[in-house]
Amino acid sequence: MSTLSTTAEQIASQAQESHLEPDLSAIARPPQVLNDRGPLWVTDAVCSIVEGKTPLWWYIAISISGAFAAVGGACILYMIVTGVGVWGSNSPCFWAWDITNFIFWVSMAHAGSLISAMLFLTRQKWSISISRAAEAMTVFAIVCAGVYPAIHIGRVWFVWFLFPVPNNYGMWPNFSSPLLWDVFAVTSYLTVSSLFWFAGMIPDLAVLRDRATTKVRKFAYGIVSLGWLGTARQWRHFEMMYVLLAGITSVLVVTVTTIVASDCATSVVPGWHATIFPFYFMVGAVYSGSATVLILMIPLRQIYPQLKDLVTPSHLDKVAKLLLLTGSCVGYVYVFELFNAWYSANPFERGAFWERFTGGYSWYAITCLSINLTLPQLFWFKKVRSCLPLAFVLAIGCNIGMWFERFMIVTTSLIRDFVPSSWGNFHATPVDILTATGTVGIFITLFLLFIRFVPIVNMSELKAALPGSQPHHDTTEGGGR
Amino acid sequence: MSHQLPISGCKNEPLYAIGARFETPDAILAAATRLKKEGFTCFESYTPYPVHGLAEAMRLPKSILSLLVLGGGVSAVLIALSMELIPTMFIYPLMVDGKPTNLSALPEFVPITVALTLMIAAVTAVAGMILLGGMPRLNNPMFAWDLFQRGASRSFFLSIEARDVKFSIASVTKLLEELGAEDVTAIHQESENEG
Repeated sequence: MSTLSTTAEQIASQAQESHLEPDLSAIARPPQVLNDRGPLWVTDAVCSIVEGKTPLWWYIAISISGAFAAVGGACILYMIVTGVGVWGSNSPCFWAWDITNFIFWVSMAHAGSLISAMLFLTRQKWSISISRAAEAMTVFAIVCAGVYPAIHIGRVWFVWFLFPVPNNYGMWPNFSSPLLWDVFAVTSYLTVSSLFWFAGMIPDLAVLRDRATTKVRKFAYGIVSLGWLGTARQWRHFEMMYVLLAGITSVLVVTVTTIVASDCATSVVPGWHATIFPFYFMVGAVYSGSATVLILMIPLRQIYPQLKDLVTPSHLDKVAKLLLLTGSCVGYVYVFELFNAWYSANPFERGAFWERFTGGYSWYAITCLSINLTLPQLFWFKKVRSCLPLAFVLAIGCNIGMWFERFMIVTTSLIRDFVPSSWGNFHATPVDILTATGTVGIFITLFLLFIRFVPIVNMSELKAALPGSQPHHDTTEGGGR
Repeated sequence: MSHQLPISGCKNEPLYAIGARFETPDAILAAATRLKKEGFTCFESYTPYPVHGLAEAMRLPKSILSLLVLGGGVSAVLIALSMELIPTMFIYPLMVDGKPTNLSALPEFVPITVALTLMIAAVTAVAGMILLGGMPRLNNPMFAWDLFQRGASRSFFLSIEARDVKFSIASVTKLLEELGAEDVTAIHQESENEG
């Protein structure tokens, strides 16, 4: 040890003598917060979003998204009182827009958990500024996904059959069915990610309580912050909880995607029956989720300029790189899937893929592939990543591509089965379409409420990671939980 | 109880604690270390974010939360497996695709077991954090101190409770001033009828 440090000192002194001082600025990490903002500035900047007057655009936006959500809700009600026949799903295509949208939303959720949990565990501090919004995206996307599983069974009043409830019929669910696994996976994913989101927010809600000027705000934030004071004891348990929840969530993300993928992969349908599906769904999930983070954060920091110092171009650049990585994985899976269909020499498998690209729904597959194989690749260029309006448009494109991918997987596999007698087609009805736009409305409405009522940046974690926020003996560590 | 300190809360009610504010994390860390060294036991620090080394300076034990979560997880495994196995093996054996309905079908029960284990472990973690941290609590004697009530998110605070055996107003005030504390205040409890 002593010899090592002596050598290091010698090298340093030699370097000084020969004027070869290493230029550390070139390899230094980009700052977490721009313009040397201190903890007080961070608190004011984040709280001002919640405490300021409700802007006009917010009312306009929530009226539009709320209207879409209401129409979606009306469609669901209509579907429940009339029957599943109001959707286009019919034999042999029993799963269509319902499961497509379910997979689309539940997958989008995964990137939020990945950013907040996995990047926290791997001490990627850049994720702090966007983790709260990403977690919110997770929770709201699961809510949108959760619209479908219960209602798609048709007679929604029998949904309790899915749960192991002792009943007069003496009936129990089939625990070997991936569809039942799905029920448990999605329930626990919603529970855990909501808890992770809420529990991490308690100290920040306490900040809003302390700053509240009206009685109503003081009371409301006082209730939800549960009496948090930030004592050393509370922080000790809080930090332990955060690590544990991050670990639990990281495992859960992988489990949930795998189980959702098993819905398809454990069946014998050509086009579904593939071992690559869990990986396929996972990378697609993070890909569409990273795109959604870009879609949400880029306009948000434009609307609230104070966020520009917190959510820096460097942070968005990293999200874009995550999108590039997972988008490339998605492209790889497409190619590999096609290769596998050919290489398997299985006529049904080959037929399913041939039909996918030449049949009546070929435009779905062609749209999906042409978007997902090209758009993410543009993020190789720094100019594209740093041009935020362009990145925003590309991210929307990526999400559209992912919706087409989910539709391609679910529907085009079902309409061409083994026997030609059970071939069919699928046509979406207006109820299908309006329910889907309704879920987009629900998502945006919830996100708008989130912006307005809770701190959208994790202030306590960010403050702990600012330079100079920790006692001096500890500055080399850089702080953080 | 005569002293020169500014008073918060109701003067006629008993003294709850003496509070102080510190400017920097270094100052509060030094203060906590010193108080522990002097033998104080009933004191508490309040910080807007976790300050490294503070819990160690106050000699707080490691959080037992991880142990609770382990317990929650293990019991969840047992709950989930019995929820799946008892109906499948004894009450309602459901033969699908000729798959066995006994223990040799164990792999089929793994996904639900994993999902439930993670869910119950997470619920234990959050509930444990809330209860171990003394929450939910709607009021606190510290809130009688206006500066604390408004500023707990901005500054570093310390309180030394009057029930501490080493507590005396004079010595505590002197000690806090030595440590560079600001806004040293006597916090009295709020009277009942004040609301």
